[in-house]
Amino acid sequence: MTDVVAILANGFIYGSIYGLVAIGMTLIYGTLRILDMSQGSMVMAGSYVGWWALAEHGVNALVALVLAFIVTFILGTATELVSVQPLINRAKEVDLEMVTFITTFAVAILITNLALQHFGPFQKNVPVIVSGHVELVKGVTISYHELTMAGISIVLMGSLGLFLARTRWGLAVRAVAQDLDAARSMGVPVTRLYPLTMGLASALAGVGGVFLGGLYFASPTAGDQPLLFALIVVVLGGLGSLTGTIYAAYLVGLIQAFTEVRYGTTWTLTILYAAILAILLVRPYGLKGSPSEARL
Amino acid sequence: MIGGLGSLTAGRWLLIGLGVLIAAVFPLVYTNPYYMTIIVTAEIILILNISWNFILGMAGVWNFGQLAIYALGAYGSGYIMLHYTSVPVAIAIVLGGVLSAGISFLLAIPTLRLFGIYTSLLTFSFAQVVQYTALNDPHLGFSDEGLTGGSFGYPAVPGLFPDYGQEAYLRAYYWVCLGVIIASCFAVAWLRQSHLGYALRSARDAPAYTAARGVDLRAARIAAFVLSGFLAGVAGALYLSFNQSFTTSQMGLTPMSIDVTMLVIGGLGTVTGPIIGTAIVTAIQTKLINYPGWTLTVLGAALLVIVIFVPGGFVGLFSRVNRRISTWVSEGDEPPPGDPEPDQRLVA
Repeated sequence: MTDVVAILANGFIYGSIYGLVAIGMTLIYGTLRILDMSQGSMVMAGSYVGWWALAEHGVNALVALVLAFIVTFILGTATELVSVQPLINRAKEVDLEMVTFITTFAVAILITNLALQHFGPFQKNVPVIVSGHVELVKGVTISYHELTMAGISIVLMGSLGLFLARTRWGLAVRAVAQDLDAARSMGVPVTRLYPLTMGLASALAGVGGVFLGGLYFASPTAGDQPLLFALIVVVLGGLGSLTGTIYAAYLVGLIQAFTEVRYGTTWTLTILYAAILAILLVRPYGLKGSPSEARL
Repeated sequence: MIGGLGSLTAGRWLLIGLGVLIAAVFPLVYTNPYYMTIIVTAEIILILNISWNFILGMAGVWNFGQLAIYALGAYGSGYIMLHYTSVPVAIAIVLGGVLSAGISFLLAIPTLRLFGIYTSLLTFSFAQVVQYTALNDPHLGFSDEGLTGGSFGYPAVPGLFPDYGQEAYLRAYYWVCLGVIIASCFAVAWLRQSHLGYALRSARDAPAYTAARGVDLRAARIAAFVLSGFLAGVAGALYLSFNQSFTTSQMGLTPMSIDVTMLVIGGLGTVTGPIIGTAIVTAIQTKLINYPGWTLTVLGAALLVIVIFVPGGFVGLFSRVNRRISTWVSEGDEPPPGDPEPDQRLVA
């Protein structure tokens, strides 16, 4: 009984945060057909902003989150302008998907190493957003920080859905995802939309970074593991499918919680990878992905 | 004749022979142990890059799991060197390659069911998972010290030349690696013109058309996985036996970034690309050794600039300049006979 509660609670919390980091990648892939490898360094940047605001300047938690959102939004927009924009009009001569995989990876290398030089290799403690914890059943406690993290992640994912479904800009994003040329001829400002989409996705990862920083630390390599999990989640969910990503995030969270409770943390990745291989062998495009259909 | 090196002119052969000769004589003249160690390590990385370039550039399969394959070759051969001392070290190195080829084959089966970016994602996470598993290995309970030594690195093994002094040791490894490099360069150049090479390259550029012409894409790509896996495993085994250690950080994100930069700077899919890329990046790394942290910043920026402005890398740049010169020289004549297009996906 205790185990079941622990697995469900942890799975829910892991799933929410993976969802938040991975949904940005899905959004970018769905619109731009680009796999953004700099998403992990946005998590890292977010946790440094959290450290700077909360530990160094002691500001309100909400201010820190908004600040992280803004900083990583700008960083993400800049990333797009540097690594994707120069290539868009050459889509006919280069394999955009693969080349941007490398260029965004290069940006990730740059950001990580600039952080290494500026902040040094040592871990920084990021204060938790809300202190205290609640005991679900005897032996299973959840901190308020984790609960807030899950709650805000869900709210953000929900508002992303609303943004895409209800606003003009969201409509434009979906139009571009469906048919780039048609959207362009209908007057959608694609060259402005791309940086904004990537900024938005990065900002979601940045907010996730503040939370993850509170759970672990802020360090130059803090983005590596979130990136790996986000990759696993988006592959499992089917690239470009928002609902698939959310299902996959919670599935990955649950598998991780299950392995941790039953076999210990050392086996997590190996078992997770085996599970994903098994799923991909049956469904090569992930849970909800489809080869050519327009998504989002 | 199935394959061939027919595209090489007499002048090219002369140039290659001269290059090999200089490379072979070099350690007799130059003996600085610090730089020799760097050079031998660079040679081993070059072997890895040649193998990676084969699958990534020539076969166009976006395999980012090569470093894990390389590491598994090191661990496999290390296990033999450590526990079966009666087996000659050279055989252990080859067996490391065989193990890597086998694992590469197993990796190919699920990977080739996927397409495009999914391939890179699956292989990329494969590399990460192997790294984390190796790091956690001493806690997994296979044996006391584990199969990989975990974060402490693989224990020292008897290398190829256990009784040599430092100078002779470096020189011997230099020649062994040089031999492997020359052999694999010729093998790749020969394979390019073979049935397999044509199948791989056309499968990369026009998969649907190639399949329609009756080429078994899957079989060709599996062959590419196995061949490049073998070479990567040999590189890993050489690294372990040369350095007497192998840590999990050898397959992390940092070496992956460096190796990808080497391949892209040199020119993906070309025979000489990895050589040029490895040389340039190693030179940059050596120059910046006193400014830790700057190396990767510089390399990241270089990677970005090269991909965007010089797609095709230095080899692509050279052959473009070369073609322009020969067009200019032969202006008015017949168009110059086909120096074939440099062969890569990232070409401008």
